[in-house]
Amino acid sequence: MGELKRTILYAAHQDAGATLVDFGGWEMPIQYPSGIIAEHLYCRSRCAIFDVSHMGRVDVAGPEQVAFLQHVLSSNVLALDVGQAQYCIIPDERGCAVDDAYLYRFEEGRYFLVINAGNIDKDLEHLQREAKAFDVTLTNVSDRWAAIAVQGPESKKLLMTLSGGQALTKENLKNSLGTLTMEGRPVRVAKTGYTGEPIGFELYCRSEDARYFWDRLLELGARPAGLGARDTLRMEAALPLYGHEMGECELGGEIAIYSVPLAKFAVSFAEAKGDFIGRAALERQFSAFKKILNRDYSEMQNLPYRIQPICLEGRGVLRKGFPVYSRDAWAEGKPVGYVTSGTMIPYYKTEGEGLSTVITEQTGKRSIGLAYLDSRICEDFDLEIDIRGKREPAVVVPYHIRQDAAPYARPILARTETKTPAPSDRRYPERAAELLVKARENHLWRQEQCVNLIPSENTPSRAVRLLCECDPAFRYAEHKKQKAFYDEEIFYYQGTGFIGEVEELLSAEMAKYLGCREAETRVTSGQMSNTAVFSALMDWKNRVDRKRPPQRLGWVMNNHIVRGGHLSAQPMGALHDYIATDPVTEKQMVVNFPVCADDPYRIDVEQTKKLLAEYRPEFIIFGKSMVLYREPVAEIRRFVDEQKIPTTIMYDMAHVLGLVGEHFQKPFEEGAEIVTGSTHKTFFGPQRGVIGVDYKPEDLKWSLWETIQTRAFPGSVSNHHLGTLLGQLMAAYEMNAFKDEYQRAVVENAKWFARCLAAEGMDVAGDPAIGYTETHQVIARVGYARGPEIAARLERNNIICNYQATPDEEGFTASGALRMGVNEMTRFGFGKEEFQKLAGLVAACALRGEDVREDVIRLREGFTDMQYCFRDEEVDRALETLASATGL
Amino acid sequence: MNIPSDRKYSRDHEWVKMVDDTTALVGITDFAQEKLGNLVYVTLPVVGDDVIAGENACDVESIKAVSDIVSPVSGVIAEVNTQLDDAPELLNDDPYEAWIFRAENITDFSELLSADEYEAFTREEA
Repeated sequence: MGELKRTILYAAHQDAGATLVDFGGWEMPIQYPSGIIAEHLYCRSRCAIFDVSHMGRVDVAGPEQVAFLQHVLSSNVLALDVGQAQYCIIPDERGCAVDDAYLYRFEEGRYFLVINAGNIDKDLEHLQREAKAFDVTLTNVSDRWAAIAVQGPESKKLLMTLSGGQALTKENLKNSLGTLTMEGRPVRVAKTGYTGEPIGFELYCRSEDARYFWDRLLELGARPAGLGARDTLRMEAALPLYGHEMGECELGGEIAIYSVPLAKFAVSFAEAKGDFIGRAALERQFSAFKKILNRDYSEMQNLPYRIQPICLEGRGVLRKGFPVYSRDAWAEGKPVGYVTSGTMIPYYKTEGEGLSTVITEQTGKRSIGLAYLDSRICEDFDLEIDIRGKREPAVVVPYHIRQDAAPYARPILARTETKTPAPSDRRYPERAAELLVKARENHLWRQEQCVNLIPSENTPSRAVRLLCECDPAFRYAEHKKQKAFYDEEIFYYQGTGFIGEVEELLSAEMAKYLGCREAETRVTSGQMSNTAVFSALMDWKNRVDRKRPPQRLGWVMNNHIVRGGHLSAQPMGALHDYIATDPVTEKQMVVNFPVCADDPYRIDVEQTKKLLAEYRPEFIIFGKSMVLYREPVAEIRRFVDEQKIPTTIMYDMAHVLGLVGEHFQKPFEEGAEIVTGSTHKTFFGPQRGVIGVDYKPEDLKWSLWETIQTRAFPGSVSNHHLGTLLGQLMAAYEMNAFKDEYQRAVVENAKWFARCLAAEGMDVAGDPAIGYTETHQVIARVGYARGPEIAARLERNNIICNYQATPDEEGFTASGALRMGVNEMTRFGFGKEEFQKLAGLVAACALRGEDVREDVIRLREGFTDMQYCFRDEEVDRALETLASATGL
Repeated sequence: MNIPSDRKYSRDHEWVKMVDDTTALVGITDFAQEKLGNLVYVTLPVVGDDVIAGENACDVESIKAVSDIVSPVSGVIAEVNTQLDDAPELLNDDPYEAWIFRAENITDFSELLSADEYEAFTREEA
């Protein structure tokens, strides 16, 4: 084969019996004896390794490295933190791609650019020419480093065997990087890949270590895959390949960058990029692109075609170059584009639905690909492909696989019907009666036969529940403070005397409980409390200048959802519409609490201080939904005061609202200004929210408090659910009366339960030295991705808890733990003896698959009587009278 | 390399197994299937169509490419192996059992080799 180049792993491919071909001047394996289909399937089910050492690797250094990269790349280089990578495109002046590439920032002071093997010479010529205008040094380090892609659900396990258990990348997120040693040899790892696997890495090692790692990975169970499988995998992932989806176009000219779906991630128009190469052309393409997304084709001449995934529905195999037709009138029988990549690929068939989907051993085949199509063509369009003279039907699909259910890439078959339930034709009285029967069954099952361990749940007392259902449950009592009447509450409706009194008493009782001056009780959920506070903070921030567009919040410090932060404190939750975007990095201005390396459930206070000094966040949100320890409120308050960092400290107590006190934390004493919470988790209430603040009328932030109140009403509610408001007052009485005994019991029981579970062989998370937990929660690890299965098994045995993703897992489908709370069962009187028995039953079921349902029912049987509530004769009598009065 | 002696072979790597003097089954050899790799689609010839020795009868597709099957006989397509519609991989798994078409009224043959001659031929090609 003449003067073909070889990678350092050439001998390994020969030894494995690979079929070698000429790939862009390199002698590379197209497949190994197992064949492309087996290699593709092994990647999707286990772990495949690919020699990608033929790709170009360029080191970029020098005083003007950032300016140079901003000039030659499509992406915003300033968005890249140390330890991150980003996909980018090298544009030309026409807005077409010289190549696509990946930029890595392994360390401060330099960048690492990886380019396609077939374009190395062209790219280097282009980059070196452009580099002349900058004080920058480009070094081709392709020979110094080898690269092995390690992709598939088991890739992480294999690589962590080599790392001796050390974390591979800085964060467990895509595009995160790591520098470490594996079995004594230095390596760089990137959580990146070209296969569409949710779990996959690229390993960069010294050339002299390449063969060692290749052989070790094979020893550990990986199998080699060649360029054939690399192409089928990336095609299934709808990823572009230069020469197909970028570069020369078969209709003439070159493919515009915005034709490629990934352009919207790879291209940035940040001011810091100045007049980068291709900017003007790309802006025109982008403008057309945005309009096309809104089905406005007025600028289509700037982006006449877009690349989209297509699936063949007829017979045959899609291949590059096949003309595509549409039956739409505007197409007039002419081709609307052509196939840019196509083949037949295997996939594993599944059985079952949703979380109980099982991947079988049987495989199917489907012909899929990508096509360059007229921009007017959208998803679900019916197409026809000309396959060597025969027309076969095809359809545009949004994707071929999905990565959002780790650890597997999930094939999505075109036009799969989702089931809609058949409409019922039974009479309403019959259906009503059946509903009542089923509700009773469910109530008895849950209340008398199950052990309820979901930490965010509780059962309120009979008194609370009864009050929730009687008048004024279905009424309105909207009210607002009126300045004209000295801030007196003005009610809009009649018949609100009783509930008005109740609400005033409730605010006082909640403020007393929380240890603060003021409480807003109209919010009907924990998340709503948070939204009202975020909204108020943003509004308050802008009160000084209402004439310009309102500024959002930033920087905000919170707990990342992966480490247990609550949904509502994330940009994807309640923070969504209030968080600012940094114009320089184009990223949201959120900075997460760092956690201890040896205990990811604990905030690293010293690291936090460093971040506080650097970012000076205007808003700090403590609180988590996966929570084992106290939050370091006091330490952080002391620090921000000393450093004179102007900020607002909020503690979303959510789960632990019922533990406010000396057995856990006193948030206001520690320095929080705002506390929000759910009233129904460890607190005895029905499902509502609450906001507490400690501001005084003479404080600067008193007007913030007033804004919080108006963002609650009318900002978040019109009807504030008067039934549960009434029940909440009873719950507040109960909390204030019984909190000392209850809180002590909850924390003791949690520690005891954790200890018992550990003694039974369960892998309990948290610091054993302090009893694993300081809250009501106990977290037990049950194995990577086994959480959903074990939680379902426990439910079949009447033990109700939830599967939980720990910081080690990629998402809830890969949950590897169970989250349990002792609060509800403590309320029903479980003590040490019961929690010890329960630990045995949980272990028997979770670890050994034993059927313990009868044992659980018997355990619960004796504990259906609620404790920590009023059982005095006086109260009981009043309760009975109320019950008979209401007919409930 | 598997080369059964109960049939003849063409230089295009097909095998021909006579059923009677003017009828034969045609398929591809082990050498061919290994070279082609995983086969994912077969476009079978049409029953009733003529085939001419030395000309394309139909094609098979691997992941990467389409390959022509050159007919080793002249005649008429009497039957096609419809199993290959849903399971083209049979050609890889069992190339000598997975016939592609049966030709009848055979009037002519390409130059066919014996098992030994085909073995020597494949050794040269490799």
